Amino acid sequence: MSWIQKLYETYENCQSMIGKVGEENEVPLLPICHTIQNAQINIVINLSGEFVRAAVVPRSEAKTIIPATEESAGRSGKKPACYPLCDKLQYIAGDFLEFGGEVTVGFTDDPHEPHNAYVKQLSDWCDSSYKHPKVLAILDYVKKGTVVADLVKEGILHLRPSTRLLMNQWSENDNILEIFKLLPGGVDNKGKKKPWQADAFVRWSVEVPGDPQSSIWTDPTIWESWVNYYGSVKSVKGLCYVTGEQRFMASQHPKKIRYSDDGAKIISSNDWSGFTFRGRFTDTKKHNTYQTCGVGFEVTQKSHSALRWLISRQGYRSGDQAIVAWATSGMSIPNPLDDPLSILGEKNLKNDDCGSIFTAQNLAIKLKKKIAGYKSDLGDASGVVVMGLDSATPGRIAITFYRELTGSEFLSRLEKWHDTCAWIHDYGYNPETKGHIRFVGAPAPKDIAEAAYGSKVDNKLKKTTVERLLPCIIDGQQIPRDIVDSAIRRASNRAGMEEWEWNKTLSIACAIFRKLNEKEGYDMALDENRKTRDYLYGRLLALADSLEQWALNEAKEDRQTNAARLMQRFADHPYSTWKIIELSLAPYKARLKAKSQKRQVLIDKVHAMFEHPDDYISDKKLSGEFLLGYHCQRESLRPKEVETTNESEPEMVTKIDE
Amino acid sequence: MEKANKVELKIQGKYALFTDPLTKIGGEKCSYHIPTYEALKGVLSSVYWTPTIVWIIDCVRVMKRIRTQTRSAKPVDYSGGNSLAIYTYLAHVEYQVQAHFEWNMNRKDMAGDRNENKHYFVAKRMIEKGGRRDIFLGARECQGYVEPCRFGEGIGDYDNYGEIAFDLMFHGFDYPDEFGKDELHARFWRPKMIDGQIDFIRPEKCTIRKLVRPMNANPPQSVGLQEEGLFDELDTKTV
Repeated sequence: MSWIQKLYETYENCQSMIGKVGEENEVPLLPICHTIQNAQINIVINLSGEFVRAAVVPRSEAKTIIPATEESAGRSGKKPACYPLCDKLQYIAGDFLEFGGEVTVGFTDDPHEPHNAYVKQLSDWCDSSYKHPKVLAILDYVKKGTVVADLVKEGILHLRPSTRLLMNQWSENDNILEIFKLLPGGVDNKGKKKPWQADAFVRWSVEVPGDPQSSIWTDPTIWESWVNYYGSVKSVKGLCYVTGEQRFMASQHPKKIRYSDDGAKIISSNDWSGFTFRGRFTDTKKHNTYQTCGVGFEVTQKSHSALRWLISRQGYRSGDQAIVAWATSGMSIPNPLDDPLSILGEKNLKNDDCGSIFTAQNLAIKLKKKIAGYKSDLGDASGVVVMGLDSATPGRIAITFYRELTGSEFLSRLEKWHDTCAWIHDYGYNPETKGHIRFVGAPAPKDIAEAAYGSKVDNKLKKTTVERLLPCIIDGQQIPRDIVDSAIRRASNRAGMEEWEWNKTLSIACAIFRKLNEKEGYDMALDENRKTRDYLYGRLLALADSLEQWALNEAKEDRQTNAARLMQRFADHPYSTWKIIELSLAPYKARLKAKSQKRQVLIDKVHAMFEHPDDYISDKKLSGEFLLGYHCQRESLRPKEVETTNESEPEMVTKIDE
Repeated sequence: MEKANKVELKIQGKYALFTDPLTKIGGEKCSYHIPTYEALKGVLSSVYWTPTIVWIIDCVRVMKRIRTQTRSAKPVDYSGGNSLAIYTYLAHVEYQVQAHFEWNMNRKDMAGDRNENKHYFVAKRMIEKGGRRDIFLGARECQGYVEPCRFGEGIGDYDNYGEIAFDLMFHGFDYPDEFGKDELHARFWRPKMIDGQIDFIRPEKCTIRKLVRPMNANPPQSVGLQEEGLFDELDTKTV
């Protein structure tokens, strides 16, 4: 039951995934002591440290796994620490200053410092017993101090005409040079134009005859060499609060957890002035003996790397909030914050046999099968962890949710959620056919938040709502009543929304009302025997609405029905409003003549079902149940087209009621 | 000690925060899912404590399902102003605790006060009264309430749930006044919750411990009940 321990285990179980880049925006599972950066220039040298050629790296291939020290992985500020192998020109080029390059502000007193620090660090690595021949070649080449000159010769970097200074702007009319397209440019805080080319990030390839692995950023032997070397440099040992063993302590913990420029950390320990944790602890910044707590270097690197990978691969993210569920074995599991359509995935939808006529039950069955599939893959023994992260400030991440479950427990909770919170929804979207998909299932928490608080819901409120819904899914907790009430109130206010939004809100409100009143066992189909007041009133409203809409369609009139306009009032004062609605139906009945017979009969039938006259006459506010009655009645009035699919059960159709 | 001197009590509260040390240093406090030994010892000490005794927690029974709730906090930053944080609390907790006391052998001056019956019945009475001091569950803002109970009675949410294992967790501190050495140690263990019950190991049985720093015990100067004038004062008052 320790998040960091579980992440550590996950990393160990997923060793085979290290360094593999999946989809474009995905962060690969990084080897420890490594980080990821976008490179713009690739320099190719040979094993004796001679320049061979260089090329600009296209944006799509820019992602580069580079070795990093703890300081450089978290670098920022005026004197950023250098990466050990690949870095920007100011660090690796000895002739950077000759060509008019400008170093970072903190280095201006000693502009040679960045390069010297880089060479020093690289030499230390090469002097150790963990050295690597390719790294040695890079050191040899860098020591020559001809990086910028070589790149200029190769036509990668560009000089200003008739000077030996790097060009830092181009006029609009010129063809934009390739390197400028890749680099962000700007004016520095003194109003000077920044030499953009000089910001280029360099990575290396070392060509060895007979060795196909020339790019050093994908070479596992170099990763290993750096990991072993860096591990050997660490000196402070202490009790690791995760493993309980004496380990080399981490002095800093990784950032970039949720997205690439995320500066926040889960474990941050740089607070020596706020007295956040002191009292019985007397550590100072100078004499940090890890009194409060310490984590092994390897443990923190591995677990943060795993978390970063999991969030980018299968997490839900909205601003600073990230929620991720994963199996510690590395098996894939469905995302608990998805609706059935997203769990089934786009591919499944594309391959589906019935393009526009998506059948709701069909999808529900598919979801069941998919979850059953996960169940057989995952087995019972495998643990599943659900973790939520959020920040109040940019610097720190808080763990807002953490649960451990067994695989089968997780899947059965998920299945139960999709079972008990299910309703028929119309808002699914198929990007392939550009049509709407009808599906049965639980709405996604972010959709519930929008249904309850509107599509322009305040970001913070949305985050909290999603967070509050999470235990309903994972722990099987009762759904918060206030969210349901709010959604019902909004669904009753039909006039305030556009048609599609109202329909979405309505079906979500029905779903969560049904979940809240699980014991009642509401059916998704029209229950002709239910005699509760609110349900019957809902049915009446749907019947009136449908009758009037039909009459309007006949006359090609395009306006809202009385029932639609008065829905809010109807919800608050059903009896008195119903009088208005029913009386105003007369002209439409006349217009439709005999065609309205069926609906008129139904209206009378529903009237007759009120058990006590008091129920009917009372003007008491209606509960959310009336939405269910409304939705079910509307559903049953839909024209049923018999479809020719293999399945024998009756299918429902996506046409909007006429 | 001639008797077991066991007491049993029910502890409940709306919130609890048994901070995981990893999240403590950054300020975004996040609670462990189960109470630590030290936190429960603190509760017992709030109920009744005197330098003569040391509370030993035997076991705890988690009665309600473990739920967490986050709250936004605005902690004071002592270097000025405020910062913002999100704290993760346990919500609606209820525990049954079994504990007993032993003599604190490092307080030789209190040897004359080692009267089992006296302390046992005072402790019992204090549990009935809800404790001598405020009870809080892990952090000051989490007010708790105690009352007597029969350990194991009543239905808990984790009855027959099976085993839940926890990874390395903080157990408690060895303070010099009880530990007898001029050092502060932190202890760790790997708890197991079986059917909702956690049996704590005794502090000296924890194998994983860390020296935090040197620390001196600094008890108030006293010769216990033999203090000069103590009885005289009592005598004059009763007269």
